[in-house]
Amino acid sequence: MKIKRHGQGATTNLKKRFFLWSALILLSGGLLLSVLSFWNTRRLLMADAMTKSEVILREVEAIRSYVKEELRPKMVELHGKDTLIIEAMSTTYISTTIMARFAETMPDYIYRRASLNPHNPRNLADPFEEEMFDWFEEDSSRLFWQGVVKKNGDSFFISMVPDYFAPACIRCHGTAEEAPHELTDRYGMIGGFRFKAGDLAGINSVSIPVSTSLREAWQGSIVFFIITLSGSLALLWLLNLLFQRLVIERLGEMLSIVSAKKKEDRVHSPGDELDVLQASLGSLKRYVRSARKGSSLQPNFIDNYVVTQPISAGSMSWLYEGYAVQSKEKVSLKIGFDEVLQNPLYRACLETEMQLFENMSHPCLPQFLERVGDVLVLKRIQGRSLFSLLHKERLDQQLLLPVFSQLFDLISSLHAAGIVHHDLRPQIFLVTETEQVRLTDMGLAASDQQPDPIMAAGLGPQGDLLYMAPELIKGKRGDPRSDIYGLGVLLYLAATGHLPFSDERRSPQKWLQQKEQLASPRNYRASLSQSFEEIILKAMAFDANARYQWVEDLREDLEKEGKQFGL
Amino acid sequence: MRLMVFSDIHGNLEALQSVVKDAAKHNVHRSICLGDLVGYGPFPNECVELVRSLKNCRCLAGNHDVAALWETSPYGMSSSAKEAILWTMEQLSDENKKYLAELPDRLDLFNMTFVHANPYNPRGWRYVMDQKYALRSFSATRCRYLFIGHSHRPLLITRKHFFSIDLQTVSGPREIRVKDKKRRIINCGSVGQPRDKDPRSCYLIFDTRKQVLEFYRVPYDAEKTAQAIRSAHLPSALSRRLLKGI
Repeated sequence: MKIKRHGQGATTNLKKRFFLWSALILLSGGLLLSVLSFWNTRRLLMADAMTKSEVILREVEAIRSYVKEELRPKMVELHGKDTLIIEAMSTTYISTTIMARFAETMPDYIYRRASLNPHNPRNLADPFEEEMFDWFEEDSSRLFWQGVVKKNGDSFFISMVPDYFAPACIRCHGTAEEAPHELTDRYGMIGGFRFKAGDLAGINSVSIPVSTSLREAWQGSIVFFIITLSGSLALLWLLNLLFQRLVIERLGEMLSIVSAKKKEDRVHSPGDELDVLQASLGSLKRYVRSARKGSSLQPNFIDNYVVTQPISAGSMSWLYEGYAVQSKEKVSLKIGFDEVLQNPLYRACLETEMQLFENMSHPCLPQFLERVGDVLVLKRIQGRSLFSLLHKERLDQQLLLPVFSQLFDLISSLHAAGIVHHDLRPQIFLVTETEQVRLTDMGLAASDQQPDPIMAAGLGPQGDLLYMAPELIKGKRGDPRSDIYGLGVLLYLAATGHLPFSDERRSPQKWLQQKEQLASPRNYRASLSQSFEEIILKAMAFDANARYQWVEDLREDLEKEGKQFGL
Repeated sequence: MRLMVFSDIHGNLEALQSVVKDAAKHNVHRSICLGDLVGYGPFPNECVELVRSLKNCRCLAGNHDVAALWETSPYGMSSSAKEAILWTMEQLSDENKKYLAELPDRLDLFNMTFVHANPYNPRGWRYVMDQKYALRSFSATRCRYLFIGHSHRPLLITRKHFFSIDLQTVSGPREIRVKDKKRRIINCGSVGQPRDKDPRSCYLIFDTRKQVLEFYRVPYDAEKTAQAIRSAHLPSALSRRLLKGI
């Protein structure tokens, strides 16, 4: 009973989604297969027709050349030059007669000998053959043609060869007056004359009807599709049954364990039950993490340093204050969270962070002193958090440009070195009394020259969703424009004294919706100039392509704005 | 953003200093060096150190840098280049060798790709100076602008369509607007050994906002470098070609 109750809101979602997607995949697969099978049958059919028609045509050509080269000269030798026996000497007559007999038993092979000006009117070319005459005449090197032609609603596969007059042919095809009387007696004196040797005499063609076979192939593929369809439906039903048994019911059980407390919320949750499970596990993780932080003991001595009090927490590590035992010189110590040190993945991130602090040099980065095991010793960082400067009211206008110029310079140096910070928040910046900005955390930074452990592990968005660029929420890392979004949020906060979004717990999808509808900074501070507002909105554009593409451009615009309005 | 692109310094400190000084006048935000810091010239260590000290500058590996670390054999090069590389190997400090060893072959920034010679086989070091290799380069990257060096001749290749390109040699200082959507290969010429019969150093600044390529030519005291080449007993042909720009 318990399982069913859980399955009502969310389960149907997952099931429906699974069912719809698999139906779509199976259906389109079936359709594709049927089309492919039809196409393949058609291809085979055409290849077969091509070979057959060519064989027949070549055979007729052989008969014609036999008559031309052996039979006719022999007849002339026997009966004298002036005799013409059409039945034994005319190539056209002999070939058409033989093929007419052939067609008595094989009616599907239609032989034609077509001419534009024939002795026998039966051999007059039809409009299609006339076109082919033109085609062969255009270029005398064209000696063969094959293709599919529609005649009277049926499709035929046709092979064609041209035939040219030899000098011996001119005796019967020259002038009507000189032609043998046997010929003129039979066909009259109108057609078949006035040719010269080398003229195109006619076209020999063999046609094979293919319509019926194509129709059969089409029907075959429809039957194939229907069989696939019914098979897919049966498979779908089985899969659905299996999915219900193996996944849905057990997932429901799991849900009943993890989200027993949040019954009211679950009814309104938009995603399927995997989303609910994910959210529950997320909150569990946060709980475990905070419990661990609370229990971790404050270390007192690390090597030659005394550790006193924590200054701030980054994404991977604490920043502690401390001093050297002998020289009493004050230092800052970066110490990884317990759970970070225990997890190889987070440890790789911490390692990257420590290497960045070690190798990069910039006025805004604390100076590296030495490394003691997993602890980084930095020159003392003093100052108030940028967040406490911004808290509740906007940043002092005198401070805005000096602070942001330093920020821009720092971020452009990071970007120029191929490093993306990914986690720009006011909490990680300290501002000293002399208005120098210091960056205290780079726990989520990634360099383009090294593989990114967070991406490699497919961890999804890390850090504070409030300051995160939309593409980071979607899980895309390594784009410097994400940092420009972060700078935009800082600028929004500094100029108006308000966060652009309310700081409540939301799902990543909800955050994306929020980020798409950004409230105008002038809602909070009407005196803000329009150009300044445009700068902030452009830096915080939802689409990374609409944003400032380079930190330097943002800096240039803000400095111009500062000169104009005296920021 | 104004991005300075320069390449092929080849140990010519005098030229590099003049270029850096000249670029400082033109409001450069970032710079990218397309490799070949060493080879041919008499000041390999000094050049590497100057490039390392430049602000917001990234560097790629060139064939001479790789050969100087013996990652590829210098015996495949011309005899004067080979002699200069063998000399450079002895000169380079360990720290600079380590720096050269870490240089990447290729860099992608938004719609721009940077390589020393060509993107389809960066360690093959083939020149991209004609249609065949330009088209092959275009198909090896999806970016709009491809910046290359290696040939020591400033050049602008515009892709007209899938099968054809437009090749334009760039002589002297020039500004070229690239506002249309066409894809381009841009060769920034050479700082330390130009070979287009103009002995002045060459580099370019790409203004991403205005979409303008600004090619610059900077005169420097080539005689001084030539003198240093002779004092280091490097092949004398190397000093002669510097003065003529060949």
